Amino acid sequence: MSSNKKYWKGLEELQQTPAFVKGSKSEFAEPIPVEDVLNEAGLSTKTPRRDFLKALGFGLGAVTLAACERTPVHKAVPYVIKPEEITPGIPNFYASTFNGQSVLVRTREGRPTSISANPNSIGLNQGTDATTAAAVLDLYDMSKLENPKLDGQDVDWKKLDATVIAALEKAAAAGKKITVVSNTVNSPSTLAALAKLGAKYPTTSHVQVDPVSYSGIIEANRVSFGKAVVPTYHLKNANVVVSVAADFLGTWVAGEEHTQDYIKNRDYKSLKNGKMSRHIQFESGLSMTGSNADVRIAIKPSEEGAVLISLYNAITGQSLAGGVSNKKAQTAIALAAKELTNLKGAALVVAGSNDVNVQLLVNAINSNLGAYGDIIDLDNYSKQHQGSDAAFQEFLKSAAAGQVGVAMFLNSNPVYDYFKSEDVKAALAKVDFTLSFSDRSDETASELKAIAPTCSFLEAWGDSSSREGYYSVVQPTINLIFNTRQAEQSLLVWSGDTISIHDFVKQNWEQNILAGTGKAWKDVLQAGFIYKGTEKGGAYTAQVDINSVTTAVVANGKAITGEVELKLYESTGMRDGRYANNAYLQELPDPVSKVTWDNYAAINPKFAEEIGVSENGTVKIEANGYEVELPVLMQPGQALGTISVAVGYGRTKVGKAGNNVGKNAYPFARLANGTVQFESKATVAKAGKTYELAQTQTHHTIEGRNIIRETSFAKYLKDPNSESGRFADSHKTYDLWNKYESPGHKWVMAIDLNACTGCGSCIVACNVENNIPVVGRDEVRRRREMHWLRIDRYYTLESTNGKLTEEKLIAKDADLDYEDVTVVHQPMLCQHCDHAPCETVCPVLATVHSSEGLNHMAYNRCFGTRYCANNCPYKVRRFNWFNYWNDSRFDNYLNNEFTQLVLNPDVTTRSRGVMEKCSMCIQRIQSGKLQAKMENRKLKDGDVKVACQEACSANAIIFGDLNDPESEVSKALRNERVYYVLEEINVQPNIGYMTKVRNTFEA
Amino acid sequence: MSSHNESILREPLITGKDITYAKITDDILVPVENKPNKAWWIGFTIASLGALLWVVSVGYTFWTGIGAWGLNKTIGWAWDITDFVWWVGIGHAGTLISAVLLLFRQNWRNSINRSAEAMTIFAVICAATYVVAHMGRPWLAYWIFPLPNQFGSLWVNFNSPLVWDAFAISTYFTVSLVFWYCGLLPDIATVRDRATGLRQKIYGVLSFGWNGSVKSWQRFEIVSLILAGISTPLVLSVHTIVSMDFATSVIPGWHTTIFPPYFVAGAIFSGFAMVQTLLLILRKVMNFENYITMFHIESMNIIIMVTGSIVGVAYLTELFIAWYSGSEYEMYAFANRIAGPYWWAYWAMMTCNVISPQLFWFKKIRTSIPISWVLSIVVNIGMWFERFVIIATSLHRDYLPSSWAMFYPTWVDVGIFVGSIGLFFTLFLLFLRFLPAIAIAEVKMLLKSSSLQHKTKLVQEGAFPEEQVQYFADSLGKYDSVIEEDIKALKIK
Repeated sequence: MSSNKKYWKGLEELQQTPAFVKGSKSEFAEPIPVEDVLNEAGLSTKTPRRDFLKALGFGLGAVTLAACERTPVHKAVPYVIKPEEITPGIPNFYASTFNGQSVLVRTREGRPTSISANPNSIGLNQGTDATTAAAVLDLYDMSKLENPKLDGQDVDWKKLDATVIAALEKAAAAGKKITVVSNTVNSPSTLAALAKLGAKYPTTSHVQVDPVSYSGIIEANRVSFGKAVVPTYHLKNANVVVSVAADFLGTWVAGEEHTQDYIKNRDYKSLKNGKMSRHIQFESGLSMTGSNADVRIAIKPSEEGAVLISLYNAITGQSLAGGVSNKKAQTAIALAAKELTNLKGAALVVAGSNDVNVQLLVNAINSNLGAYGDIIDLDNYSKQHQGSDAAFQEFLKSAAAGQVGVAMFLNSNPVYDYFKSEDVKAALAKVDFTLSFSDRSDETASELKAIAPTCSFLEAWGDSSSREGYYSVVQPTINLIFNTRQAEQSLLVWSGDTISIHDFVKQNWEQNILAGTGKAWKDVLQAGFIYKGTEKGGAYTAQVDINSVTTAVVANGKAITGEVELKLYESTGMRDGRYANNAYLQELPDPVSKVTWDNYAAINPKFAEEIGVSENGTVKIEANGYEVELPVLMQPGQALGTISVAVGYGRTKVGKAGNNVGKNAYPFARLANGTVQFESKATVAKAGKTYELAQTQTHHTIEGRNIIRETSFAKYLKDPNSESGRFADSHKTYDLWNKYESPGHKWVMAIDLNACTGCGSCIVACNVENNIPVVGRDEVRRRREMHWLRIDRYYTLESTNGKLTEEKLIAKDADLDYEDVTVVHQPMLCQHCDHAPCETVCPVLATVHSSEGLNHMAYNRCFGTRYCANNCPYKVRRFNWFNYWNDSRFDNYLNNEFTQLVLNPDVTTRSRGVMEKCSMCIQRIQSGKLQAKMENRKLKDGDVKVACQEACSANAIIFGDLNDPESEVSKALRNERVYYVLEEINVQPNIGYMTKVRNTFEA
Repeated sequence: MSSHNESILREPLITGKDITYAKITDDILVPVENKPNKAWWIGFTIASLGALLWVVSVGYTFWTGIGAWGLNKTIGWAWDITDFVWWVGIGHAGTLISAVLLLFRQNWRNSINRSAEAMTIFAVICAATYVVAHMGRPWLAYWIFPLPNQFGSLWVNFNSPLVWDAFAISTYFTVSLVFWYCGLLPDIATVRDRATGLRQKIYGVLSFGWNGSVKSWQRFEIVSLILAGISTPLVLSVHTIVSMDFATSVIPGWHTTIFPPYFVAGAIFSGFAMVQTLLLILRKVMNFENYITMFHIESMNIIIMVTGSIVGVAYLTELFIAWYSGSEYEMYAFANRIAGPYWWAYWAMMTCNVISPQLFWFKKIRTSIPISWVLSIVVNIGMWFERFVIIATSLHRDYLPSSWAMFYPTWVDVGIFVGSIGLFFTLFLLFLRFLPAIAIAEVKMLLKSSSLQHKTKLVQEGAFPEEQVQYFADSLGKYDSVIEEDIKALKIK
């Protein structure tokens, strides 16, 4: 039924007004001015449509043009087929070996990013030295060769192999010698490969020579015991150590291993048991080892032998001629001898000299002290230094005589590091075919006909046996990066063997090393090492003709006696110079002098005054027919009339970072008694140039401040709180600050000043872990090094007027001879203060406190007012003055995509204008927490190890959770020795330091 | 306020004969209404070259990073913040003169407040450039303000004195600018009324339609008073807060409660010195001797002497407190200032700031134009050193001796400083060229009360006792703008 209801929308519709009727017919209620716009009149409106179209056209064109720039391609490609063992973001660890130490290599998505000690290993199983911590950078070194070279031209391996094989065959046919010259080789598989070459070409011989030679010890042991070896030293069994110029904690024999053992008798755990060893050092320059000694006597290099003769006399009651005449030394020797005799069986004497007779004398003393067995192990001897100076001289002689057909250099660079470089060059010119396995065109390789570049140990299969009975593996952690070939593989190829190096190493292990152990190759790859030696060495008695030895020692001493005596030494970071292109090591401050990027003439300030040179001056040093001009370093503790110069500098063909850094000091060495020796007489003259060394620390005393607290062992025994101020009467403090609660974890650190030797491997490990840029010499001079962790080193000078720590007293003291100095090393890093002064002053809250007690730094939020750094009482904040990691002016190493692969992907790189500082490896804390969470358990002590702690072989840095009362750090911080630096300003730092304890005689 | 007769014992604020309202306008507008003379061009060329140096130096810094400066891990602020505080300090005189002296009815301020305020504004501009330039990432400078943002709950740190500083400086700049501009309105209107063509249009816009009605004047007076009231606390607060940039820290030599009053006194001290430096030249070059008289110069010198003495007392108090505190770090910081590697900076500061203003005790010296001018520059050198001593020498040797370092400026540090002076003078010379350098309206107020001719007239009418007239005549001796005849005119009766 239809409805008669009518719906209307408005009165107009209801009434049907004419306007409505008209309007309802058109689509739009009001007419749209289409016509107006489209006709000619439209062009004269305010914005004519043509103009609109013009603007539209231009805009479109401009946008199109602007869009023409190619979008940068970021090469982040997900795995199409993911390797089973790789999870992006989760590191893999592989056991390998570096310099004889079993290590773990951390890889991320197939690229190695850091190296740490294999904690299960024997020997050095905790911490690494600086070179090991830095080694990962060498993998990404742009200065390496990408292809084999023949006559300076890139060739392919086929051509090179043909040429080499032809040369080998020619030499063999002519009956000429084929010599492989190498540094110490202790790798069983390398030796096996060399043996293969020897089997194919019977005239092959292998000569080992080390830039820093231990021939003297080897020869002395051959004479005394019939064992031509460098022994293993177990310092943990020595309660008293007398060192005559041996830097045994640093560069001598196996410094890091010694450190680990030595500290066991000196750290907080040992002190807790009321035990501390005594260490007496006689030396010319202030070495790192000397800086840690309880008693240190400055002597001239020519007195080294005399000191040992006096010591021998004092111990045995004999009165051989030639003892030391230096009064201070005499007193110290008398006391030392008493101590040594009292502690027979737990006493050790070591000497750094490479003179056979000096070492024979040392053997006689040690034999008398009963050190062979527990302390000096001749059975499980060290195989790290096997070079023979005599063998190399023999090689040079036969080469010069034209008897050598082929000479190959494996890990050896004698043109640089042999003291008579010209002799080496001349001899090589007479060799028909020369080849180097060097990974770069170094000083020697560039002189040779061919270079068969070997790869980094991180790309190689191999092994090592740094100690008799101890074997560790080297396994690759990345594919070959360049067109290089492992030296062993080359040797095999040239021997006509087609076996792959992996199979060869495996075979060698299975046949010669694993046989009878019940272990398989896979087990070794997992464990990283195998030990077949005995627990301890047997007792030996030295056979020494003491009279002729002392006569020779006296004669050798006379030969180097002069107005000025020169001592060469290896520096802790640079060592013999092979790592000269490693920017991390170049920028690692010397533990004592804090100099980076240079070697220098270390001179006693008083002696410098005598010869008229001042700071930032230079001197010309002449010795053994070689002259060089070096900047002067005022070195307290340096014996008067002596100069110390580090070898390992002055490389010319090592790469961008290391070329022409410092001056080569090897030519100062001299040959005496058949060994290369680093002591000689010299002349020195003021050269008058100005040269500023790049030091990270330029003020050297504590100015009487209690930032360093130290006591003597005797006082400590009476009162463990001695000098720590720990339980002094506390006064009431008032606080304006909020208290930060740390309900979960509270990350803190304890640093044992008695354990820290100052070596600096923590600094390098921190650099590697946290992508800290190397800034170069000029920036260090401007005091802008970026190290998050530094080691402050302070001197106390001793004179007849007492112990001086204040600049103005030192300047006034006329009696001061700057020879008697005590040293303390203090690692300094962000203290993560609970009342952090940096946090309150940041205008934008870029640095804030975490609920776990950490002081966070939000790089993205920082706009760089630097107020936080100014207000930091510890001055541990570092500002990015430039875009260091990507600025061509700081092109030490990192300004290319290849080397940037070394960057740890867990840590962001910081841009210019941003503050940074120690984060306590927050990325490691985070991953430790995540790991625990995934395993559904609580985080336990030791799950998280920060990089510096991991690198410290002295266990001087203890990190952990204070909220866990059983954690190592909690226990350590309950120690009576703990104090906090600058605690009086109530910033409430979270890093506790333990007093330095010296086991001095006087006490 | 100009209707009553001022005591004859007060020295005249306007000298010269036949000064009329029209003459005042004519005299003051000479530089604005005529083509600039050679001296202006020479000055402007040098100043703008300096400003160019500033552009180059700052540009270089922005391009390469703060590393272009001589700063290091130990010394995070040196010339940058020294210059910043120096400029802020200089900026203090303007407000003091315009606000505090107005409230205290110090009429002599009328002749100098305009250029002093201009100086303030330009000095604060110079200072503000350092705030931005010293940042590692200056393009993010706006983060200092609590702006609403899309970063989540990111906010500024209200505990940080740098945030207070940003508020203090921006408030100060805004208020000073408004105050200065309000004061300019009647004068701009005067220029407008005398100009033609485009100039008239521009000045017309700039005068905000000032019509000179009684109502306008009344409101003008009220606004001036209100702004003076707002500005007065700012005189104290700005440098107080600047001083807190240091005082709230833990660094020995910075952590000092005396800083706020000490900084304020120092700021007034340096500000007046800068006013003196500028006005002594200005009155000569622009022939303003009759308006900026020896009385003004002497008054400012006395202020310099008083504030200099306050600063000196502050220095000595600091030394005493450092010793009295018994804190070894505090003691060392001050011993190091006196005798450390930067001893020369400390002694430059002491000599320039404490000793040199004491010379103003001698009337001869404080009424000598050349010596006043030299001393005004000496004072500002001293005040620069004061900030350098506080900032750099405190930082360079603080708690841990291992980090002690020296600061060596680079060419960029020097360039930015010299350049900022160039920038300042560029702005100031432009100001002289386009705006009346003396507040015309305010000076006119003095004509019928404090001018020499008015007083002479009263003297001639015998309104004052003889000995007072004699005293008055004697006090005119120091005026370089008063000639024999003027004094004789007084003695006729």
